[in-house]
Amino acid sequence: MAGSLIKIDEEIVTSAVASVTLTGIDSTYDVYMFKYENVQSATVNKYMGLRFTESGTPNTSANYDRAGKVLKSNTTFSNNAGANGTFFYTHQNLFSTDSGQANNGTIYIFNANNASEYTFMTQENVGVGASNLAWGNQGGGVFTVTSAVDGVHFYMEDTGNMDTGTFTLYGLKK
Amino acid sequence: MNIEEATALAEAEIEEAKPLYKQVNNERLEFSSADYDQAVIDLANSKMYEANEKWSQDRAENYPSMVEFVEAYTEKEILTESAKWDAYVEKYNQVRTDFPKPS
Repeated sequence: MAGSLIKIDEEIVTSAVASVTLTGIDSTYDVYMFKYENVQSATVNKYMGLRFTESGTPNTSANYDRAGKVLKSNTTFSNNAGANGTFFYTHQNLFSTDSGQANNGTIYIFNANNASEYTFMTQENVGVGASNLAWGNQGGGVFTVTSAVDGVHFYMEDTGNMDTGTFTLYGLKK
Repeated sequence: MNIEEATALAEAEIEEAKPLYKQVNNERLEFSSADYDQAVIDLANSKMYEANEKWSQDRAENYPSMVEFVEAYTEKEILTESAKWDAYVEKYNQVRTDFPKPS
């Protein structure tokens, strides 16, 4: 339906940063969608993680449960699953710095601003990373804290940086 | 590797990597003290995982496939042809060599 996606926040990365935070989730919409595209790493062999924010601050507690399938162009598919992590993996492929290699994905978030319920998400993504392999991920997760989530924090693991990427938050019109 | 060792390594690496930046509201800001503290915790956890647990994931992702196993085992047991089984064993052992369990 035309006009169903309402843009709330957008972060365009043009120089190296270790993390990007988008906020603006409130009770206006029931479902929110994050889209990230053309995310490239400034540091080879790094993963990108995701945490939910409360009042703009990432929650780093061990309350991230995830389950999904890693779709690999070069070998057998594998699982992406675990309970009580301190973050969600957005991708299972290691990021590369090579030109043309990038990662893209969409994440839907449910119940985020309801402080009486857990926050759920589904994700789908694809990227070409280290070793020049196309890998995707289909799955979801739950943040097992009854709190009002107001955003998402993406970060490169360890001392990694991203130097390109567009991150956008939309609300799905009721 | 224990948490104290991992934290010491992480602190040194984060110190070396400074300054680190974050992007919020389209502003590029240097990490706060709390951000650096969290980066040390995350890096230490990552090092603990790499040192103590990652071998298991690496083995799971690199073992020859179940299809390969079934075909090789079946040919060996039913047809008494062991060429594929021998190849399977070689690949299996190579994965265990490539990704050793920490002592």
